Amino acid sequence: MRRLSPLVALLLVGSCGGVGGDDRTEIYLQRFFGECGAEFGGATDVSKVEGECGIVTTMINKFNAENPDVHVSSNVVAWPGYPQLNAQLAARDPPDLVTMHTGMIPDYAAEGLLEPVEPYLAQAGIAPSGLTEASRSAVSIGGRLYGLPFDTHGGLFHVNTRLFAEAGLMRNGAPVLPTSPEEMMAQARQFTERTGKPYLIQSLVGDNAYAARNLYTYLLAQNAVFFPSPRRIRLQTPEAERIVDFFRAITASGTSTLNQDTPAAIASFVSGEGGIYPTGTWMIGQFEAEANMPGRPLYRSYAVYPYPRLWGEQVAYVSGHAWVVPARERTPEQRAAIARFFRFVADHNFDWARTGHLPAFQAVVDSAAFRALPHRSNIAEVARTGRPLPSGVQRQNAIEGLVGEEVAAAFNGQKTTRQALADAERRVNALLAELD
Amino acid sequence: MAAETSRARWSPLTLLAMLLAAAVMLAPLVWTLLLSLKDNSDLVGNSGAALSPPYTLENYASILQGNQVFRWLINSFVVSLGTTAGVLVLCSLAGYGFARLQFPFRRTLFVFVLLGLAIPEQAVILPQHRLFAELGLHNSYPGLILPGLAGPFGVFLMTQYFRAIPVELDEAAMLDGASRLTTFWKVLLPLTLPAQATLGVFTFLASWNSYWWPLISATRSDMYTLTVGLASAQMNYAQTSGLGFLMAQAVFASIPIFIVYVIFQKQIVRAMAGTAVR
Repeated sequence: MRRLSPLVALLLVGSCGGVGGDDRTEIYLQRFFGECGAEFGGATDVSKVEGECGIVTTMINKFNAENPDVHVSSNVVAWPGYPQLNAQLAARDPPDLVTMHTGMIPDYAAEGLLEPVEPYLAQAGIAPSGLTEASRSAVSIGGRLYGLPFDTHGGLFHVNTRLFAEAGLMRNGAPVLPTSPEEMMAQARQFTERTGKPYLIQSLVGDNAYAARNLYTYLLAQNAVFFPSPRRIRLQTPEAERIVDFFRAITASGTSTLNQDTPAAIASFVSGEGGIYPTGTWMIGQFEAEANMPGRPLYRSYAVYPYPRLWGEQVAYVSGHAWVVPARERTPEQRAAIARFFRFVADHNFDWARTGHLPAFQAVVDSAAFRALPHRSNIAEVARTGRPLPSGVQRQNAIEGLVGEEVAAAFNGQKTTRQALADAERRVNALLAELD
Repeated sequence: MAAETSRARWSPLTLLAMLLAAAVMLAPLVWTLLLSLKDNSDLVGNSGAALSPPYTLENYASILQGNQVFRWLINSFVVSLGTTAGVLVLCSLAGYGFARLQFPFRRTLFVFVLLGLAIPEQAVILPQHRLFAELGLHNSYPGLILPGLAGPFGVFLMTQYFRAIPVELDEAAMLDGASRLTTFWKVLLPLTLPAQATLGVFTFLASWNSYWWPLISATRSDMYTLTVGLASAQMNYAQTSGLGFLMAQAVFASIPIFIVYVIFQKQIVRAMAGTAVR
């Protein structure tokens, strides 16, 4: 028993929970993007830090330093943090502010778990009209805004310009990107013939987002109505078939990597083992760092562009990060503090855009400072051409998984195009039917 | 002596096969260790760089510099030790009860307890979470420890062990005037130490590695266990841009487990061989 005493004491101490605070208004913020308190725990100069974790940590530090009457207590969750958020909501003890992927917002908003944020925006003096079309539509459901957009992110064509030059596909110092499926296939053959390397690096194993992103982007480009209602998907269409047929053909042509997962595809690209790697805005920082390191295969050989227009109009399927406010009782002081934090986040949107994500505010997109960042002038148009999935579509993450899995099987030649699209449609509609 | 005799019978071919098997088993561990000693940027393009120097301890330094890593370490120790102690006490008492005491519905109750072995944690997670929320136990040590105390495997193990001890020992002790509690505490319990060691080691390891319940019960970072805390420190795409750090986290989290294995390897081997229950 004597030996158990210290343990019992520890249990009792642990069960006592937190101690009382001070006079400051406490805001409990929960976020992903990793924990880097050791490196940036004391930093308050946002302009001097890099990377998602460093910038968001420093932003919160700076907010606390500049607002002595408010204290933002931040909790870093294991990526992506939704199991914890769900648990907190179930326990009726959600945080005050949460980072959320915009594709997840419809699920929570439909259950009444999020507060519309217009009152906070009004209190903060943030006009929704100042948001980019892509970011505003990503947080809009039924005419209400359910979050303050933090950024817009989507797929891009990351290009190895040295290999493009070797393949004779550079003009005026810029890569020649295709304007039609036929041209892309011809370029792919030319590239592989001249360099002996794959034109397209594809992560088709365990990366459902890759295949889904390609399909969504080019369906939106063709103005295809693939969600006739938020509870039904329609994929057995000529528009979807021509996209899948094309990526299936380019994969089979010997001009693409095969059987690579995301780490392998990234490794291939930074090792100079392929021409184009279609992946997201979030990789710009890492690829740019490789491009600035002498001796690296990507040294001075990197450029990035939006997905080229292959069919229809120039469109990019996008998603984004947003700050949402879970519904719960709050004091007027806490609501005012949240509004003040929103204002602060909006004022630092340029700093966040240094991560590679696109700004949520049009004024930042148009700013000289943003355009002066590496490659940003090439990709800024995504803020205008970017479109999320239709408002109100729930289970977007799961849908992306199902669609991506089936479509990747078609890209790989494991299923016929029609079979893959039929299977994807059936599985997604079964999932959405469970919501009724 | 028996071990020496059996070793002498091993043919070179058997030894070679054993060495190969050991190498196959060790390869991922060595690979993990080597990756953890490399700069992250060296591994982005080619993880094979782990096979050649230079090596660095920078990833381990980053872990140790983490704001709360020692807090998470303490949390893991408190939760694992608390769970282990609780399981040993409860399972010993329950095992003794099922093995020695006669009471109505004893067999039925024993079967009912064993049914717990067939119920996965996920099946009861919602009501369990709700219950702990109602009791206000989330983000506390009791909240992390109490669910781990329900251990049907431990009850089964201890019941079987108590049953294997001759009843004559109880009778002799009682003839000498010992009460039932004294008989349990001073005569039978010391005889179950091998089983308790086995149960204790397994419980500690399971509790240390537990991720799902701590993830959703401890939602404040000061109450994270090491597994959850280290996961929260990872950025997205850690497997590419932070591979060395990721592997260093894996090595760091497994050090206490490795120590437990080294200290209690005899009990673990006996348990695996099924000899803990006589």
